[in-house]
Amino acid sequence: MSSVLIIGGGVAGIQAALDLAEQGIEVYLVDKAPSVGGKMAYLDKTFPTLDCALCILAPKMAALLRYPNIKLIMNSEVQDVSGRAGNFKVKILKKPTYVDWSKCNGCAVCTEKCPVKDVPNEYNMGLSNRRAIYIMFPQAVPKRAIIDAEHCMRLNPPPKAKEKAKGPLCGVCQRVCPTKAIDYEQKPEIIELNVASLIIATGMELYDPRNMPELGYGKHQNVYTNLEFERLVSATGPTNGEIVRKSDGKHPKKIAWIQCVGSRDIRFNHYCSAYCCMAATKQAILAKEHLSDVQCTIYYMDIRAFGKGFNEFLERAKKEFGINYIRGKVVRIDEIPETKNLKIIYEDTAESYLKMDEYDMVVLSVAITPNSKLPVPVELTEDGFIKMKDPYLDPVSTSAEGIFVVGAVAGAKDIPDSVTEASAAAARAALIAKRFSCPTEVVK
Amino acid sequence: MSEPRIGVYVCHCGFNIAGTVDVKKVVEFAKNLPNVVVAKEYVFMCSEPGQDLIKEDIKANNLNRIVVAACSPSLHEVTFRTAIKEAGLNKYLLEMANIREHCSWVHHDKEKATEKAKEIVRMAVAKARYLEPLEELEVGAETSALVLGGGIAGIRAALELANYGFHVYLVEKSPTIGGKAALIGYIDPQTKGAEVVSKMIDKIKECPRIQVLTNAELIQLGGFVGNYNAKIRINPRFVNERCTLCGECEEVCPVEVANEYNFGLSRRKAIFLPFANAYPPYYAIDYRVCVKCGECEKVCRFRAINLKEEAKILELKVGTLIVATGYDPYRPFKGEYGYGLHPNILTLFQLERLLDPDSPTKGELIIGGKIPKNIAFIQCVGSRNTTPGAKEYCSRMCCTTAINSAIKIKERYPNTNVYILYKDIMTYGSDETLYEEAGKKLVNFIKFEEKIPKVLITPEGLFIEVFEYTIQENIRIPVDAIVLSIGMLPPRDIEELIAVTRVSCGGEGFVREAHLKLAPVEAPTKGIFLAGCITGPKNILESIRMGSAAAAKAMALLSKGKITIEPMIAQVNEEKCSGCAICVGVCPYSAISIKTVNGDRIAHVEKALCMGCGTCSAACPSGAMQHLGFKDLQLLAQTRAVFGGEVHG
Amino acid sequence: MAEQKSEFEPKIVVYACNWCTYAATDLAGTSRMSYPPNVRIIRVMCSGRVDPQLVLQAFADGADGVIVAGCHPPADCHYIEGNYKAYRRFELFRKLLGAMGIEQERFRLEWISAAEASRWVQVVNEMVAQLKKLGPLKPNMEVRE
Repeated sequence: MSSVLIIGGGVAGIQAALDLAEQGIEVYLVDKAPSVGGKMAYLDKTFPTLDCALCILAPKMAALLRYPNIKLIMNSEVQDVSGRAGNFKVKILKKPTYVDWSKCNGCAVCTEKCPVKDVPNEYNMGLSNRRAIYIMFPQAVPKRAIIDAEHCMRLNPPPKAKEKAKGPLCGVCQRVCPTKAIDYEQKPEIIELNVASLIIATGMELYDPRNMPELGYGKHQNVYTNLEFERLVSATGPTNGEIVRKSDGKHPKKIAWIQCVGSRDIRFNHYCSAYCCMAATKQAILAKEHLSDVQCTIYYMDIRAFGKGFNEFLERAKKEFGINYIRGKVVRIDEIPETKNLKIIYEDTAESYLKMDEYDMVVLSVAITPNSKLPVPVELTEDGFIKMKDPYLDPVSTSAEGIFVVGAVAGAKDIPDSVTEASAAAARAALIAKRFSCPTEVVK
Repeated sequence: MSEPRIGVYVCHCGFNIAGTVDVKKVVEFAKNLPNVVVAKEYVFMCSEPGQDLIKEDIKANNLNRIVVAACSPSLHEVTFRTAIKEAGLNKYLLEMANIREHCSWVHHDKEKATEKAKEIVRMAVAKARYLEPLEELEVGAETSALVLGGGIAGIRAALELANYGFHVYLVEKSPTIGGKAALIGYIDPQTKGAEVVSKMIDKIKECPRIQVLTNAELIQLGGFVGNYNAKIRINPRFVNERCTLCGECEEVCPVEVANEYNFGLSRRKAIFLPFANAYPPYYAIDYRVCVKCGECEKVCRFRAINLKEEAKILELKVGTLIVATGYDPYRPFKGEYGYGLHPNILTLFQLERLLDPDSPTKGELIIGGKIPKNIAFIQCVGSRNTTPGAKEYCSRMCCTTAINSAIKIKERYPNTNVYILYKDIMTYGSDETLYEEAGKKLVNFIKFEEKIPKVLITPEGLFIEVFEYTIQENIRIPVDAIVLSIGMLPPRDIEELIAVTRVSCGGEGFVREAHLKLAPVEAPTKGIFLAGCITGPKNILESIRMGSAAAAKAMALLSKGKITIEPMIAQVNEEKCSGCAICVGVCPYSAISIKTVNGDRIAHVEKALCMGCGTCSAACPSGAMQHLGFKDLQLLAQTRAVFGGEVHG
Repeated sequence: MAEQKSEFEPKIVVYACNWCTYAATDLAGTSRMSYPPNVRIIRVMCSGRVDPQLVLQAFADGADGVIVAGCHPPADCHYIEGNYKAYRRFELFRKLLGAMGIEQERFRLEWISAAEASRWVQVVNEMVAQLKKLGPLKPNMEVRE
């Protein structure tokens, strides 16, 4: 029996890995981040049940470690794929972490002692800072430290300090590490694998709302993306779940969500991103739960409440939580310089003329874009998603035999649909892996 | 068993618990409970570091019982059981104290919630003191599957399972497989439903491992995961494989009823062929309407008809069950938007059928004898509470289907005006491109809100009156035909499905999955999987993928040829048992029998058959029958601990 | 302990079957419904598992009310007919309660499906209100283990 490579360690990739491993198949799971979890790990709650996202995801992440036949290749990117079904040759670039992960035990002493304290924390969408050596998030799997070389005093010292110093700078993490895991000399590695089949589960990125300067994102302090807001309400987020404004640290009294930012817009992406209507509804409910006197308004084109329990959730948001829904296209967001409040100018489709309203926080429900720029020989759709060859007769197969695709990289979708596809793909990959028994060797 | 040494772990669950319950106080309280050696708190006990904390403590403090005060056991009991097992403890020496769903999430008063949380922990600790190590049982498993429902999801699941080497019984209630997808004209602008289904059926024909049972229903399901005994009733078809599809029988048959395969657009005889590519490819007699006149039998030259055929009962042994029995279209009542009052008011399914090349009009859009000049779709009929008697949920596929049909109509009849009256257009994901295309093809979209459109049937013709949202005015549209975009309902016979298979339903009436987000194709009962619309509205592609996924899950479960069985079952204390046999009578699984051991009559539990309900234990007058994991002493300790009392067992 | 003279807060012990009622109590939580904190839930696999002796013990120890709850008859029971067994047992049991000086209203046998979180909340609310009216239970009995 031979092995399967999964690209992307989000919820879909994790599910595919677990399903394959359960059948005794060897699995390589590659992710460019230092931990698995993908976008779901950033979420506070999931709609429509308001289940805490990590509460349901973390056990699956932890389960990966329980299978000896799952190999996690983190902080790495696939560089080249050649060959064919049953015998693919894959080249993976493993970027240095500067920490020997076979020794690191995730104790996090280094991350407390590191003197570089002002690196924007990606996990909190830059809303808080982290050290130059860090663990991606508390529930990270594997829970291992990584040095951000760009910001590390030792690896990338400021030129002036470098001139003055005689020997190498800093080295604090190396001194405090109880397991002697720090390795400043670590080099990039090329890993070559032979696998029978590939599953692409690279998911999505969020569209950059700076492409719509009229919305003022990046310029107006109190305009957030929905993922930033998600971190803001999360107990593990930058403010430990307290919703406060960037400009003055005060609780907002009026929050607006703007839907379809970058989606359903012929200037940017034609498709609907499928998750954002319910995500905004959920976030408005969470805002209400955190701040009972906050007013929440959602500006939308169509409310897409299509999934199981979604419309019921929407009705609850309206009736029970008093969330306000306005069907209107937002034209511009202006910042009021004195208060840093935001003036929304929108077209109310009910009355067909421009209206204005003031908020003290605005959340942009941004589009997703597929993470499909991969060195894998598969066809894409016009929108840049990976194409399913024949979704009716050969579900989850790409244009290349033996390469499967699951989750949001094959089209915007939510968690259960991604998980369903992951299981389907795992079974198909398993068939190929069982049929071929080429030896898998890891060449460094 | 040695003296209990209990570790108590209280989870913050971010703010989910810590926001309402004073976790520190609960920990301090737990420290003073009997046999508690350590009590600790952590932000997410279920995370890897949280689990590590427990594992390290087990080793460092020689703990032999663990209490985790966190969420519901339905969420994380397995997680923590696995964790303590990894630390060398028997995994059944764990008790969960549910202080989230039962406390922090339902109470707001911090003080009262904290007091309650303390008591919940005290109850769990009390039970934990009497927990015993239990061992799992292994039994063999059949690598065969029963797929219930021959629609597109069931067919996909069957094909997938057969690929893995399973023997599959595909059980379909009607005389043909194919389901409703086979009747839909175009499932996307380029694809005909009948074509896709035919191709899938072709694969089924080629596959010797799939046995298709039509006119068949599951009437009894016994046994357990890996070893189900399924009883199937096969209703008579009265036509056998000698049928050549000549159709002479149809001509002589005197009984005529509405043809459900054309959604009532045409009529059929009691002997009929559901549709051109039906499988198995023989005529069938609808036993519910046949008058047994014998005309068909007489005319058939191939002796393919036997009116004396009787229902057969088939008993099958299968390892797993995949439920894919689909949905029923919403049934508009007479007069709902004029339905049933005017021949030109039809449902979306009827329109879809009409556009199929195999339809009564050969695919032409002919309604009331001519091609309509103005045709309007009304969305959310039966869904999103828009109409009287409607369901609260969105039926997910009707917007895309309506738009798809609108595009087809515009392509073939450019002079026909198409209106779509909607609340919100649900073309989620990539289907949005269809919405865009419909706009380009000048389909008129008319939005309404709470006030639903009115259909007027007048001597001058049909009109729709609607309060147009974007101009905030009442408008009146003259139309020649109206299409009601009806939603999906749980299948009519879902009650029987529940009674036979013990799956359960959610509030909206569809079958509940093990977890809405992360286990969408698994039923809560191990060994039963779900595919397609039985769990709620889906489109065709989603149903197909669910079919694949359900098959994949079934295969993963059974691929090893054996199944482990939960040990929380009944156990007899032979010393105490008097052989009164009360337990034998109450056991719903016939798992208990009376055996004679050394001349004494003693109850005996067949472990693989016991499902662990515990009813025998409650009935046992001598306390000899004990429900492992829920023993008398354990439940008594838990009960007494509510009031701070203890038991002395 | 200095006891505050406040309104009487009854204590209710609930035996909930794992598949329906326990799931409903969980759903009440996930739906963030709200109900008074007077109930203590003990999970059993089936309402048919609940031995009347347990219920008596709860009353003897100081419960002001007891609820046994399971799946709806006829067909919801995960174990085919455990709910029937509970029904037969506790209908008889209820009659005996009176003889022991326990008001029958203090005991409820309820069918609450996994989807009926709101029904669960309603039952708790009703029971708490009822018991507040009845006041604390002062039983005149002793149960031996």
